[in-house]
Amino acid sequence: MTGAPLTLGPLAVAPISLTHYLLLAVLLFCVGLYGAISRKNAIGILMALELVFNAVNITLVAAGRFRPAPDAVGQLFALFVIAAAAAESVLGLAIILAIYRRRVVVNADEMDLMKH
Amino acid sequence: MQAVLFYAISAALLLSAGMVVTSRNIFHAALWLAVALFAVAALYVMLGAYFLAAIQVLIYIGAVVVLAIFVINLTRSVAGAPVTLSRRWVIPAALVSALTACLIAVALLRSGVPPGAAAGTASGTAAVTEPGTAAVTAPGAAGPDWTPALGRHLLGDFVIPFELVSVLLLAALIAAIAIVGKDREDEK
Repeated sequence: MTGAPLTLGPLAVAPISLTHYLLLAVLLFCVGLYGAISRKNAIGILMALELVFNAVNITLVAAGRFRPAPDAVGQLFALFVIAAAAAESVLGLAIILAIYRRRVVVNADEMDLMKH
Repeated sequence: MQAVLFYAISAALLLSAGMVVTSRNIFHAALWLAVALFAVAALYVMLGAYFLAAIQVLIYIGAVVVLAIFVINLTRSVAGAPVTLSRRWVIPAALVSALTACLIAVALLRSGVPPGAAAGTASGTAAVTEPGTAAVTAPGAAGPDWTPALGRHLLGDFVIPFELVSVLLLAALIAAIAIVGKDREDEK
């Protein structure tokens, strides 16, 4: 097995590498995951999802930058993710607004019309 | 120098992200989201992705956060009470996200990611003594600005995804208008 030993000490003194960015992205992803699970407000859930998208984008850009021959494809993928996230955000907020107008709820666990 | 910058931006990013998911006022959460997205833009600048940093500020902070704040204001409770956030499942959510973090981090550290192009950082630490030449933001070997290459990719070998994304955005625009504008037509 080619795995490195599981110590974070060398990472703290090493120059900033791809591993640093990936670890940061993992932490950001999991903060967003925590928010998406624990939030009750639907807008809060959408904002936590934006954090998740940004973690993925950091991964893509850092991976493209730290390749042996760096190129722009990682940034290109991040650009597409940003566009998809913008579309998701617009539609999600529009649906929240429409539900609020009809039923005056913004909490995700009260949007239970399709449960019954 | 670069390491200090990276750790400072990371700390700001994680702190503001934590405030986004734990703040009890949804309006404050949206403002902290703007801070977190700005920190991500700063990370893009550190990685040499200047165009992406500009796009991040324009689209995320300029459009998505503003849109979220608009919707927060529009859905604010008619009774006048501030929209506070009650949280559910705090312990399971913390457990799930912490375990996921451990899983991915352990897999990442054990997989032996290639250390990558860390050549520029050695000169970055040396450049503290000689100001003005520090390549803090652009340690890349093949040119600091990726924007021309990005444009060539977008109109070259990635032109079909590019057009599909524009169709997706148009569809989302029309759908949002159709969803939100429907009620008014019904009332008339």
